[in-house]
Amino acid sequence: MTGEAGERERLLAVALADFLDRRARGEAIDPESFCRLHADLAAELEPQLHALAEIDALADGHAAAPAMPERLSGYRVLCEIGSGGMGRVFLALDERLNRRVAIKTLGPRYADNAALRTRFMQEARAMARLAHPNIARIYSLGPDGEPPHFVMEHVEGASLTDAAHALTFQQRAALMQKVALAVEVLHQHGVIHRDLKPANVLVGADLEPKLLDFGLSLDVADREERLTRPGEVMGTPDYFSPEQASGGELDARSDIFSLGAMLYELLTGEPPFRSAGIDEQIRTICEADPVLPRRIDPEVPGDLQNICIKALEKAPVERYSSAREMAADLERFLAGEAVLASPRSYSRMVAGRAGQHLRELEGWRRDRILSDSEYDALRKAYDRLAEREDAWIMEVRRLTLPQVSLYLGAWVLVAGAALIVLFRYRELSGTPAVLAVGAAAVPALWVGVRCWNSGRHRIGIAYLLAFCLLLPITLLAVMGEYGVFSGFTQGKEKLELFSMLPLFKPTTNAQLWWALFVSLPAYYWLRRFTRAPVFSLALAAAGAMLALVTLIRLGMLEWIESDPGRPYFYLIPCALLFMGSGAVLERLRYPADSRYFYPIAVAFTMMALTGLAIFHEPYPKWLNATAPWTRGQLEYLFIVNAGIYFALQVVCERFSSPQMRAVAKAFRFLIPGHVMTSLLLLGLAATERWGESPADAGMRFEARMLEVLLPAVACCFVFGSVPKQMKNFFASGLLFLAIGVVRLQQNLLKDSALWPLGLIAIGTLLMLAAARYAPLRLAFARWRRTI
Amino acid sequence: MGAPTSSFDLVARVKGGDRDAFSGLFDKYRRRLAVLIYYKLGQDLRVSIEIDDIIQETMLRAWRDIGQFHYRAAGSFMSWLASIATHVIIDAVRHDGRDRRRATAVVPLSQAPEAADTRTPSRLLSQKEGAAALIERLNALPDDYRQAILLAKIEGLSTPELAERMGRSREAAALLLHRAIKRFRTLRDDV
Repeated sequence: MTGEAGERERLLAVALADFLDRRARGEAIDPESFCRLHADLAAELEPQLHALAEIDALADGHAAAPAMPERLSGYRVLCEIGSGGMGRVFLALDERLNRRVAIKTLGPRYADNAALRTRFMQEARAMARLAHPNIARIYSLGPDGEPPHFVMEHVEGASLTDAAHALTFQQRAALMQKVALAVEVLHQHGVIHRDLKPANVLVGADLEPKLLDFGLSLDVADREERLTRPGEVMGTPDYFSPEQASGGELDARSDIFSLGAMLYELLTGEPPFRSAGIDEQIRTICEADPVLPRRIDPEVPGDLQNICIKALEKAPVERYSSAREMAADLERFLAGEAVLASPRSYSRMVAGRAGQHLRELEGWRRDRILSDSEYDALRKAYDRLAEREDAWIMEVRRLTLPQVSLYLGAWVLVAGAALIVLFRYRELSGTPAVLAVGAAAVPALWVGVRCWNSGRHRIGIAYLLAFCLLLPITLLAVMGEYGVFSGFTQGKEKLELFSMLPLFKPTTNAQLWWALFVSLPAYYWLRRFTRAPVFSLALAAAGAMLALVTLIRLGMLEWIESDPGRPYFYLIPCALLFMGSGAVLERLRYPADSRYFYPIAVAFTMMALTGLAIFHEPYPKWLNATAPWTRGQLEYLFIVNAGIYFALQVVCERFSSPQMRAVAKAFRFLIPGHVMTSLLLLGLAATERWGESPADAGMRFEARMLEVLLPAVACCFVFGSVPKQMKNFFASGLLFLAIGVVRLQQNLLKDSALWPLGLIAIGTLLMLAAARYAPLRLAFARWRRTI
Repeated sequence: MGAPTSSFDLVARVKGGDRDAFSGLFDKYRRRLAVLIYYKLGQDLRVSIEIDDIIQETMLRAWRDIGQFHYRAAGSFMSWLASIATHVIIDAVRHDGRDRRRATAVVPLSQAPEAADTRTPSRLLSQKEGAAALIERLNALPDDYRQAILLAKIEGLSTPELAERMGRSREAAALLLHRAIKRFRTLRDDV
């Protein structure tokens, strides 16, 4: 820059700066009046100020709205009634028919793009074929010479949300049902609306909704471009589906989500997802669960909430599969029937909350507000709430008709296949039988895996479970029909399980064993593939059966005659095996799997101990040798077993795991029944023996002692219920106490009025003492100190 | 610039969560922003960075951070946007370097798209009238003249701010601006 500034130039520059600063401060000053302030400089100042205005005009070039065309398709354009990213909508007058029409134009920015233009017109043409009372009609397309536009029905009415304010929930549901049916019509014509929002549905005075603005929104620009252009999407993402917001593949179910968002707004008055920025908004749509409508307005009917939340599921597969289905559910609501929707996200929400509560409970347990047993019970209840996505039917919280039917189907299928293996059919033997069973098993696996992979876990699990049952059946069919492993156990037919079941087709123990054995790795693979613990149940059950079949192959059927106690003896290692597997799995942090092994271990233990007591001859012999006064009676063996259970529960209790605690509790549970039933039976037997030889003092003593022992032990159990909070100790204690009291009255204290009176007195005293437990205890402590 | 109160209103409505207002604000400023970014990028970066991308990103950040903006005067929103745009460009340059490295690792240079493709001017600047014409005329100005006009008229700075930014006294800055406008006027007849 060169040249010294003249005085006049300096003045001009200052005036210009002054003008700019006034403007920058927000003063509304126009060039003309400013020039009048500087009359002496006006001649040179004015063109400068105009240049400033010119720069603004250039920089804000678009700010002046483009002119409204006077006529389109021969209709007189009256005014603009809407504009969006895509173009503008005009109200126009059809002068010949004297009716109002709406004309939608494609914005000049898009009109230049020939492909888009063609698309716009094609879509309009497709839409023009639709005739539905709830969809605004398209009358005609703009002729070639004019800017791209089409003429459509002009709908007068309020937007869906505005209209809904004064309506009942029934009426709102009726509106949405009509909208859903209209959307279904679009879908049937292969059109996805993609921009469903309350503003695009106008409701007339007759409460008939009309769908506008369909199918034209998204094709105009590809998704990503639309999404990242903030000026354009700003108004709409409230109703975007997650796949729309994240630029995924769209199908009709994206519109279902938008329908859900609209229903949500109809019910609550606000859209389901709304956040400060668009990034945030997209994240909210993709990740956050909407606040339940009933939280916002407790008047919202639960069924409508179910419908709404189901439509708003994040995963398209969880939503209604068509708008028609959603309409049908709305119709069910209107007719007062139960709706089918049971939104998956409920269990997700519950699971999230349940996790929080569980952590709180855990804290309470540490603070000793909760006892261990209370904690375990609550935890179990919460675990039931926190339903897994892949839960099988016995673990779901709510049974649904489709699910029940699915499992029924699987069961019938398995039954059919099992019949082929179990029985002879003249028309179905050899290869056809194998093919028939295989035709059930292979598709079950294939469909199951496919469903699982596509995220339809609920259905997948049913198919895979069916396969689980079909696999050993198929293996049996193959081995049976082709004579594999057809040799008898130890070469003796009488050792074969099926020799005892003449009705069935003979299947050898070896075949059974191999069918189960080969299935185990398959179950393990399914567990790894799906991570669903139910396959551990299959694994555990098959393992238990395998253990039994192994016993049969060892010759169990022969022992039943020669040495009936021996099979039970062999059950002990099986029980240990399952107990160990459970413990190892739990240690490896698979508690959902280990819980299937423990019950089998407990069952085996109980079977083994009971069976040994009843059938195993060396057992009573040992008892008789150790304690001759027991005479080796069965009941004493049961009492010994109760002692073993007691020891087992002490051992199990030492582990910190909740499942081990449950095992301990199961063992503990068995004790009072074993002890008191045995005492009662022993008492009855002793009394009988004494009756046969009344002179025998020993007999008399034994009978009397057992009579007194029963109520005494019962009292012990009643009080013993306290330390471990065993309610069954208490209840069975009371029961056997009553029995003991009656037996005493029949034998020892016959005809003694003091007995009932004494009982009344003891009972009263006990109640009084218990009611004043604390002061009595203090008095007792003081008395002990003085001594 | 347009009526200052309307910007104020729009900003207030945007802060209240009104998306339509943000659309309005966006429409109001995007051309100015385009011109500003055009010059902020300079010749080299214009080749590799899309002006539209910068505008988008700037607007997104503006939308996100609108809570931090305090309306002081008519031009303050634009200068706030300008400062965001500067950050966006810096980030973009950083990313661009990284992307280019990645791109060359995958695509042999001979198959890489022609650099000239990316020179396609922003759609906002493509129309003959408006911003494009403005840029054409600004390009014809000496650097300091152009700078003065950009700061005062596009970014909307007051003259004291302009002086500070250009490192001159207020008088000198006013004089520079006066001469710049004068030269700008003469260009109209030439073009």
